[in-house]
Amino acid sequence: MASYLEILDDDQGHELSLFCVPKHYEEDLDSVIIPNGLIKDRTERLARDIVRDMGGHHIVALCVLKGGYKFFADLMDYIKALNQNSDKSVPLTVDFIRLKSYSNDQSTNCVKVIGGDELSALSGKNVLIVEDIVETGRTMETLLALLNECNPKMVKVASLLVKRTPRSSGYRPDYIGFEVPDKFLVGYALDYNEYFRDLSHICILSDRAKEKYRV
Amino acid sequence: KMPPFSYINCAFQISDEEQGYDLDLFCIPKHYAADLERVYIPHGLILDRTERLAREIMKDMGGHHIVALCVLKGGYKFFADLLDYIKALNRNSDRSIPMTVDFIRLKSYQNDQSTGEIKVIGGDDLSTLTGKDIIDTGKTMKTLLELLKQYNPKMVKVASLLVKRTPRSVGYRPDFVGFEVPDKFVVGYALDYNEYFRDLNHICVISETGKEKYKA
Repeated sequence: MASYLEILDDDQGHELSLFCVPKHYEEDLDSVIIPNGLIKDRTERLARDIVRDMGGHHIVALCVLKGGYKFFADLMDYIKALNQNSDKSVPLTVDFIRLKSYSNDQSTNCVKVIGGDELSALSGKNVLIVEDIVETGRTMETLLALLNECNPKMVKVASLLVKRTPRSSGYRPDYIGFEVPDKFLVGYALDYNEYFRDLSHICILSDRAKEKYRV
Repeated sequence: KMPPFSYINCAFQISDEEQGYDLDLFCIPKHYAADLERVYIPHGLILDRTERLAREIMKDMGGHHIVALCVLKGGYKFFADLLDYIKALNRNSDRSIPMTVDFIRLKSYQNDQSTGEIKVIGGDDLSTLTGKDIIDTGKTMKTLLELLKQYNPKMVKVASLLVKRTPRSVGYRPDFVGFEVPDKFVVGYALDYNEYFRDLNHICVISETGKEKYKA
């Protein structure tokens, strides 16, 4: 069972004025719920756990854009730091995909994978999917089914956040940064209509901002 | 006669004679120990130079919403680090600019007439770029710029970590340049050789052993 740092339902987060936040977002956020430094520290540990489990064989790290890009970049940096400072190291190649999910006539979940190299290149490799947040879990389950057809040696999922929600399918990633309440979170590449990706901390979005940035 | 000095186009010059540094002076992933000749641009130096580019970019483009367009895969490290520095400026100054991000891949293919054509893959609907300022990180620029013009962005600028001094150059110069380098094959910091070496922090010169080992 993956361990995780739990953020409780009644956690109000920290006052914005205790941190550095872009001026253009000052009115749009209620609080900082996971500061950037804490995200990095937790990620550093996930890197160690991942290399321990997957470090025996070439790893293909698959970044799920766009929300996954910050976590991906920071996670890769920590894995590289381990690689350049230990007796053994594992070759790491990277790829980037986008997932468009849609429902077909039978209301079953479909996921289309856009971008990325030929999925057949994953055959025989240790594949690490890097995602920003898992909510219902259905997108990840569908992606895993798709990837398993390519016969990888091993597939693991690292998600920075997992939401505690009744809508969850029960799916749990192999590596989890934080377990968070069912609130609307932005920052550290998580967006609200493309905004807030340029915010370093994970924050709670204010109701006012939900209106302001509504499509 | 010296060309007019422009802050916008100035770059950190790495001379043709530059040999780089011994691998033993740095931390290198063990699996690449035999595959590299020298460390050419250490990671910390890349970051320091990138920090300054962030400041130049904000000075130039900081008046309006910026769309930062990352050219994958080689651009991803520079993109991530550049944006981190821009974000640091944004949260520590009196004025700050909203910034949204997008990711594209460029597939180049030759048609019958052997004129290189670039196909842009991924990314949001490019019409959303209309009226925005764009900075673009990557290598193959002229064609992409032509393509983007049709969407009427307010301003398009290109930031490239490296510019090569090569006779094959079409004369195009990005707006923001990290380092100007000799015509050597360099790897690391997301620059690859057949997908290898992206997981190396420093920009290095590949060895003959490396070229053989990772040949396509």
